[in-house]
Amino acid sequence: MGTFRHFQSIDQVEEELAGARYIADRSLATVLFLSYRLQKPVFLEGEPGVGKTEVAVVMARLFETELIRLQCYEGLDASAALYEWNYPKQLLHLRLEEQGTKRKEEIERTLYGPEFLIQRPLLQAVMGADHKPPVLLIDEIDRSDEEFEAFLLEILADFQVTIPEIGTFKARERPLVVVTSNRTRDVHDALKRRCLYHWIDYPSFEKELRIVKTRLPGIDEALARQVTRFMQKVRSLDFLKKPGVSETLDWARALIAMERRELDPEVVRETLGCILKYQDDIRMFERDIWQDPEKRGEYLEPDSDG
Amino acid sequence: MSPIPTADNGNLAERIVAFSHYLRDRGFRVYASNVLGALQGLQAIDIAERRDFFSTLRTHFVSNDTEWALFGEYFDSFWKGIPAKGVQEAEQEPQLPPDLTEMPAGEVIPDTNPPGTETLEELPEKEILEGATYSPIPSLEKRDIATFSKRDIRVAQLLMKYLISLFKVSTGRRTRRSRKPENIDFRRVTAKSLKTGGIPFKLYYRKKRKRPKKVVVLADVSGSMERYAHFVIPFVLGLRGVGSKAEVFLFSTSLSCVSPYMKKFGLDRVLEIMSREVPDWSGGTRIGHSLRQFNEEHGDRLLNRRTVIVILSDGWDLGGRQILVSEMANLKRRANCILWLNPLPIHSASYVPAKGMRAALPFVDYFLPADSLESLRKVGRTLSNILAEK
Repeated sequence: MGTFRHFQSIDQVEEELAGARYIADRSLATVLFLSYRLQKPVFLEGEPGVGKTEVAVVMARLFETELIRLQCYEGLDASAALYEWNYPKQLLHLRLEEQGTKRKEEIERTLYGPEFLIQRPLLQAVMGADHKPPVLLIDEIDRSDEEFEAFLLEILADFQVTIPEIGTFKARERPLVVVTSNRTRDVHDALKRRCLYHWIDYPSFEKELRIVKTRLPGIDEALARQVTRFMQKVRSLDFLKKPGVSETLDWARALIAMERRELDPEVVRETLGCILKYQDDIRMFERDIWQDPEKRGEYLEPDSDG
Repeated sequence: MSPIPTADNGNLAERIVAFSHYLRDRGFRVYASNVLGALQGLQAIDIAERRDFFSTLRTHFVSNDTEWALFGEYFDSFWKGIPAKGVQEAEQEPQLPPDLTEMPAGEVIPDTNPPGTETLEELPEKEILEGATYSPIPSLEKRDIATFSKRDIRVAQLLMKYLISLFKVSTGRRTRRSRKPENIDFRRVTAKSLKTGGIPFKLYYRKKRKRPKKVVVLADVSGSMERYAHFVIPFVLGLRGVGSKAEVFLFSTSLSCVSPYMKKFGLDRVLEIMSREVPDWSGGTRIGHSLRQFNEEHGDRLLNRRTVIVILSDGWDLGGRQILVSEMANLKRRANCILWLNPLPIHSASYVPAKGMRAALPFVDYFLPADSLESLRKVGRTLSNILAEK
């Protein structure tokens, strides 16, 4: 990975991530350092909204390179992930050439030129930018189906793609690969064991507070503590979808935009949609927590050390 | 169980291998490539830094959330008494063993192919079977689930995770190529017509995949049955193509639909809540009465020729025989097939089926034991085949 900026140590990864406003545990910094040194993909699992995708975004920023994102979904196939020929354009080209005097072989040769090739994310990652390998994010791999997993296994093994009409392309340098999964199903062993596994959990109070203050530097200290404490308590409840860190940041941004300096029952009710995404969850929260003055008080406790 | 090595038995590489065995004895899936990777990783870090040493081993030896939760405890118990300094003194430069893949099979699951050359289809079966052949855990696989200790349960849950991945039911929504004139595959038609200057002489089609069948689980959770439910229900729901669409009902003296709560709370919490809130929860079993409830309240919605019914019960029935027979007949008439999973040792000479079971058997298509991980393997195979049939 000569063209990536060189990571010398885990400490350096930790510092640079913090500099890029991503608060990572030492263990995640270790895994990213190993991924860089051993040229292995990182496999990140965890609940939605804990910052898995953000890892790839930040790594691309640190390496000052392109981030190529492949969003997985059920039915994703090789042509949507790797490459496709632009048939309509080829046909038009063919029609135009038929008016000319070119020989058949010549026309055929031009038909499979780069201008007719639609590069999808995986081919882009293999081709890479001219000067630097990109960061490849394969997001929510658990949403894809098994045929795609098997196909991905081949690509990740040697970053080589064969296009029959043109030839074989091999990445000059391996991109840094980040695979994420929300665990909607178990991903196959064969894929996982080629990766460095890391589970990202919901952050502790201290870590979440640091994240809030780092990502929203203008936030009032008391409000940051109150919001973080509130979110920590909300996560202890049984919701259909527990709010992640991204919800904490969205909510804090909304409160700043509303020029609030502290939480009160009214503003929480107004902005509950930032935190809870299901009507059932909102109803349950209002019924079980918010209508009980004592519990409400616990959630709104001012400045506390969590 | 492997004895825990001490600081003075061999170099670091050997102890890393020993640690991988220690984890395998506890249900982790560790391959030779993971061990090699861990050793390479240790060369890239300062191994005197215990937390980095820990993270490097964890990222190589763990591959799911269950293992992740257990790893810390196992790491501590294995490396106990070996301070970070000990690690440092053991070997500054980890020496790779001559060739890990030549170690006796079963020491570590060998990677039989160079990475990337195996297909997903051939790989799991082969590797998992190899692992199972030499694994020190077969005793656990054969044991009755009811006899599991707390520690056994943790290991068994890991084993079950891998057992589930053996069985696949094709469930993709992706369309497939078809010869019958159905939906035209424009992409292919255009591509093929290039040869003829854009005139499509031949049309190509795609067809939708057949939906897999729907599974309805009816689990008896009275008395000792609850222990089996903890294993059998997650196993059935974990089979690919079953989980998200399956419906789960628990019954003892009466029947409750728990499907909406399963995703939200998980089975353990659901069982806990039910035992607290349902009157008469552990007051015995009335299978016939519970089946009637199912047929009357949910039959119209759930029963059709693509519904597979999975009943988990030991057949000890305190209700009447007549009602059980008529409701089983009703179920049989309206469903695709009925599997009855029985946790009692069917094959033993002393086994006498309970009265309720004898009454129900004529209506059952598959009568399978479900008392151990090994018998669940057969359940998985049978159920996957049923679901995949046209």
